[in-house]
Amino acid sequence: MEMVEKLTLITPDILLFVGAVVVAVLGLSGSRTIRQAVPLITGLFLIGSVVVTQFVYADPAALESSGLLFPKIGGYVKSLTGVVGLGLVALGTGTVDRAYERAVASGSAAFDPLRVVRGEYHAFLLLSLAGVMLVCNATDLIWLFLALELSVLPTYVMVALSRNNRRANESAIKYFFLGAMSTALFLYGFAMLYGATGSLNFIEIRDVLATQAAGEAGIAPFAVVGMGLALLGIFFKISAVPMHVYAPDVYEGASNPMTGFLSIVPKIAGFVAIIVLCGTFGWAGREQITAAGTTMVQEGLPAPISAMLWMVAVLTMTLGNIGALLQKSIKRLVAYSGITHSGYMLIGIVAGTENGTDALLFYLAAYSLGNLALFGVLAGLTRMGQDIESFDDLAGLWRTRPRMATMMALAAGSFVGMPPLIGFWGKLMVFIAGVESGHVVLVCVAAVNSAISSWYYLHLAGVPVVRMSTPRSESVTNGPRMAPRLVAVICGVGLLVVPVFTTPLYEFARTSMRYGELEEPAARSVASPTTPGRELDQG
Amino acid sequence: MSGTPTLALAAEAVELINPRTIQICLVFSALLFSIGLFGFLTRRNMIVMFLCTELMFQGVALAMVTFSRMHLDISGQVFVIFILTVAAAEAALALGLVVLLYRRRTTLDVGAWSELKEC
Repeated sequence: MEMVEKLTLITPDILLFVGAVVVAVLGLSGSRTIRQAVPLITGLFLIGSVVVTQFVYADPAALESSGLLFPKIGGYVKSLTGVVGLGLVALGTGTVDRAYERAVASGSAAFDPLRVVRGEYHAFLLLSLAGVMLVCNATDLIWLFLALELSVLPTYVMVALSRNNRRANESAIKYFFLGAMSTALFLYGFAMLYGATGSLNFIEIRDVLATQAAGEAGIAPFAVVGMGLALLGIFFKISAVPMHVYAPDVYEGASNPMTGFLSIVPKIAGFVAIIVLCGTFGWAGREQITAAGTTMVQEGLPAPISAMLWMVAVLTMTLGNIGALLQKSIKRLVAYSGITHSGYMLIGIVAGTENGTDALLFYLAAYSLGNLALFGVLAGLTRMGQDIESFDDLAGLWRTRPRMATMMALAAGSFVGMPPLIGFWGKLMVFIAGVESGHVVLVCVAAVNSAISSWYYLHLAGVPVVRMSTPRSESVTNGPRMAPRLVAVICGVGLLVVPVFTTPLYEFARTSMRYGELEEPAARSVASPTTPGRELDQG
Repeated sequence: MSGTPTLALAAEAVELINPRTIQICLVFSALLFSIGLFGFLTRRNMIVMFLCTELMFQGVALAMVTFSRMHLDISGQVFVIFILTVAAAEAALALGLVVLLYRRRTTLDVGAWSELKEC
């Protein structure tokens, strides 16, 4: 019974697994037509999983017996992952050298397995996305561990194979070693949590922790250390401060489409994992019945964990900004900007379930869209067969390719938080959630950082317009494939158009966080749950 | 008749969850983990660094088994099986990457790989 329901909820993920196998086999096909159809097939599987998600998560029976802390979160996150995946597939089709493939087919070039990565690349992409989707369905620590590993292991290979040069290898080895260390860290945290509570199941752990918190002794220090270590390990995925050192190097070494992947997908997995873990540790605004039969309100995260998240949020946005101010390479700039955005998103975690996570989920969508637009431009252009990497390559882009320059400016504007663009609404909601939960100082720090960040984002938008083109930037041409530029245009326009749908999108994020046992207590304990979305409508 | 073996079993269980044994196992697992972490941060040979991460995983596995015994709950031991499996998958990946890197530079020293840094 329960097993069937659990399997129902992970149908979209299973579909992606099937897709990964199909794509891996087709990628080895002898026929060039079939090999060239691989990205298309990958896209079809992603569309299929998004469609299936809508149906599966509309079934109340499956949600009720799922045993999940946040049963409906998958509905939002899986749709987001699928849509982002489509964009990433379109970016990634450029990674394969078509001219080289033709040369191999006609026999004028020797076969080099490293340069024919189409099938594997897409199979790994689907596996990694399936891992992200599985994180939403984690009912216990084992599942969470396996899902996080599934989302990250394929990316090591993708980074190593993304470019046939030494820098890609170096970034892969750096990414791999630090990733393995972070895995060990959060595993040790999981072990401590297990030791302190005697269970691996999230709901049981939450109940044990709540009972401990209600007692005189409070939560066992052992459990608190375990929580800290678990979060620290997962900070690697969102590149938050103590674990952010890898990001600039790895982003710089990987190919442009792969950097786009790294800047979005692990963050979705990491933030969902943090949401699930914080729900386990006891977020505020939730009531529950203890073993003794008394109803009690959970006070929220244990003070040390809350303080740690607060400090990490501040350090992440500040250090990310300082790093970004010093950059000449666009990819390192994007890495630091991603670190800064993780800091903003952590405000949503600090604010808690009331509005914070809804805002965080919305922000994730806004951030992904902006990054897709930016990387569409970077992956769609090429300079003598090499990736675009430095600001010098972009000088005078406005005169040669006004459309790409516009999309870049839109992405930069969205990252700064310019009003009509979607990034503004994301930031606004996160900041409102932070203020409402009483973290005014944190929001002030974020606002100051946001102001500072406009300096380098305006640089990003301005260099193509203001600076005169040089011989170096004149050698920049369109890449061999249309798809990335198409992604840039679609997402760039999306940054302007999606804000029209802010309210429905935000409602989608909100309902995905409130379901079942969470719904009633929230309605009882909070007299008037005002959402920023509604306030905005009235104002 | 039926009481005696049950009692014996209970006595054995008490013997096994002797706090002293648990303590020793936990301290040992913490040691394994710290040695692994220290080695990871100080050694510069890729294979040794990888072995250090394995050492950290084993520290976690030992802690899991110990807690599983302490709570007389089997799920911790199930977790260990999964940790070992994932560690094996990671080992396959790591060795593949190390071979790839060795072919390019014929050295296992991570210091040889420092093209990517702040300019």
